[in-house]
Amino acid sequence: MKYSVETLEYSDLIKESLTVPKYDKLLPVKPMKLAILADCAVQQLATLLKTLAARNGVALDVYEGGYDSIDLEILNPESALYSFGPQYLIVLMCGEKLKSRLYDAADRRSFAADTVGRIENLWRAFGTRSSATIVQSTFVLPSERAFGNYELKVADSVGAIFTEINYQLAQRARSAKNVLLNDVDFLAASIGRRQWLDGRLWSMAKIPCRLEHMPRLAQSLLDTVLAAAGVFTRCVVLDLDNTLWGGVIGDDGLEGIALGEFDEGEAFVAFQKFLKELKRRGILLAVVSKNEHANAILPFKEHPCMVLKEEDISAFVANWDNKADNIRLVQKTLNIGFDSFVFLDDNPFERNIVREHVPNVIIPELAEDPSSYVETLADLNLFETAAFSEADLQRAAQYREEAQREIIKTQFTNVNDYLASLGMQIKLERFNAFNLPRIAQLIQRSNQFNLMTRRYGEAACEAMMKDKACAPLTLKLSDKFGDYGLISVVILKPAGEALEIDEYLMSCRVLQRGVERFAMNNIFAYAQRLGAKRVVGHYLPTAKNDMVKNFFKSFGFEKVGEVDGGGSKWALAVEDYRPREVFMSEAVNELHTPEPVDAL
Amino acid sequence: METAEIKTRLTPIFRDVFSDNALEVKDTMTADDVVKWDSLSHINMIYAVERAFGVKFSIRDARSMKNVGELIQLIKKKAG
Repeated sequence: MKYSVETLEYSDLIKESLTVPKYDKLLPVKPMKLAILADCAVQQLATLLKTLAARNGVALDVYEGGYDSIDLEILNPESALYSFGPQYLIVLMCGEKLKSRLYDAADRRSFAADTVGRIENLWRAFGTRSSATIVQSTFVLPSERAFGNYELKVADSVGAIFTEINYQLAQRARSAKNVLLNDVDFLAASIGRRQWLDGRLWSMAKIPCRLEHMPRLAQSLLDTVLAAAGVFTRCVVLDLDNTLWGGVIGDDGLEGIALGEFDEGEAFVAFQKFLKELKRRGILLAVVSKNEHANAILPFKEHPCMVLKEEDISAFVANWDNKADNIRLVQKTLNIGFDSFVFLDDNPFERNIVREHVPNVIIPELAEDPSSYVETLADLNLFETAAFSEADLQRAAQYREEAQREIIKTQFTNVNDYLASLGMQIKLERFNAFNLPRIAQLIQRSNQFNLMTRRYGEAACEAMMKDKACAPLTLKLSDKFGDYGLISVVILKPAGEALEIDEYLMSCRVLQRGVERFAMNNIFAYAQRLGAKRVVGHYLPTAKNDMVKNFFKSFGFEKVGEVDGGGSKWALAVEDYRPREVFMSEAVNELHTPEPVDAL
Repeated sequence: METAEIKTRLTPIFRDVFSDNALEVKDTMTADDVVKWDSLSHINMIYAVERAFGVKFSIRDARSMKNVGELIQLIKKKAG
């Protein structure tokens, strides 16, 4: 397991640090260059950072700035900081230092503004000399209050000024492009501010926190740096029974599962709300459940207390296969790396199977009680990021359409059942003025499923559109998951007693759905109505269209001639064609009209 | 706790912290006698001892210890 609070034990990590190879021994792996500037001692922190980075397969080259020389290093263009050339700069500022300066200040009124101004100036100065990303700490609030609970009522109390500074830092960081925040005050508060500092170690050695918590501090700083480097969780894979709700949907039924406003049901709702927030912030949610699909999906559709809905889940896999395979399937469908997956399952057996077979997936130990799930995830700090944008809000929907098609495919052993389940609708139309640009584009771009590769331009297409003797056709496909749009072009021209397929191409996005069978059925039906004796066509090989070299043969055409350049001519008598089975309904078929050519 | 027992339990801690598998804990031992005993590993040693024996040293304790023998006596006093 990549993360677990238990693996963050100070003494163990210090011991482990001896086994971390020096970065130059790892060559040709390029180390990540990290500088730390702090107003406290950072030797232990630097050691822990290197050790934890090594656990993540990252070699860290660390520059430790001189003690309490943040300003000097940043403001002096000749400093060792700049000759080191960091990719990331951690600026760690301690609450203890700030507090002592505040106690000494003659005038407290401008203290917050001055402090924030000083830090912002450092960011700017660094930004003019380095393109590195700054990771700026917040200040840990002191645990003592001279005013007791009245503290925040007084504008120039220590508590009020600290709060103001942290708030202002956050505000300024939002518009500073080279700055990420690491909220050390949040970490200290979640551990307990009173437990955070070891007064003895601060007094003796300016060590910023208790040694037992320092691995958490190092991990948290590293999480921010790694997120900035592109290492972060992209997808959470969820079990259903006893993970998203209490009980087993297949046994207990919709009314029987625990989900709602009290006890366990309340805890599951709270967990789902946090997951929904993750989805809102751009993390994909996937379901991998051992269930009948109809049972698994039922609560998403019908349970009034479900927070997560079908559309929140980018990939939904419910079957009886093993979960390692199913997670691989989800990975393949969403096409993101395993190291960006978190798998949540209440069942230790399933966790272990996945751990064994898909080793890079992060799999937290979930305790039996669902009320601990959110806390467990929060403790592991699994959801770092270094950016957030509007695009993150849309991500789930984008991935969902394609993923659902892929996954449904695996649920059918018989491909025909699968095709029938897609609810495909097809439109066969003559070229029209609205479609011409798209037709020309598809003709230019299709390389693989393209029999003749004639590359007609838009003007040529328009001429064929107006030519009553010619049948230039397009196919549009949609299914229950979405609309593919215009995906195929077929151009038919009468040639004496034959009907010639002059051009035939299709987008590779719709392979193996039977579109070509539908098209061929219609070509022959049309040939019959025209009174043609046979249908003829060519295969003209290119560097890329090997895929269709047996296209005509597969429909029973006979090879009737060779063409220069390795091409071949094929023909099949109209009366010999056997219509193929198709699994799509016709939304429009302009070739069915009695006089299709003249009518247009 | 007897001095001998404390010494026995200190041995693996010292070996770990100062990365020396042959290290033998002696009363007269000081930082000067151990290659890897520097200010950093000193703090790591204090931390490990505090956790292992469930004791807490004050700043004064930490500063006044002259050798390992005094550390052992301090543990003996604090751990009861």
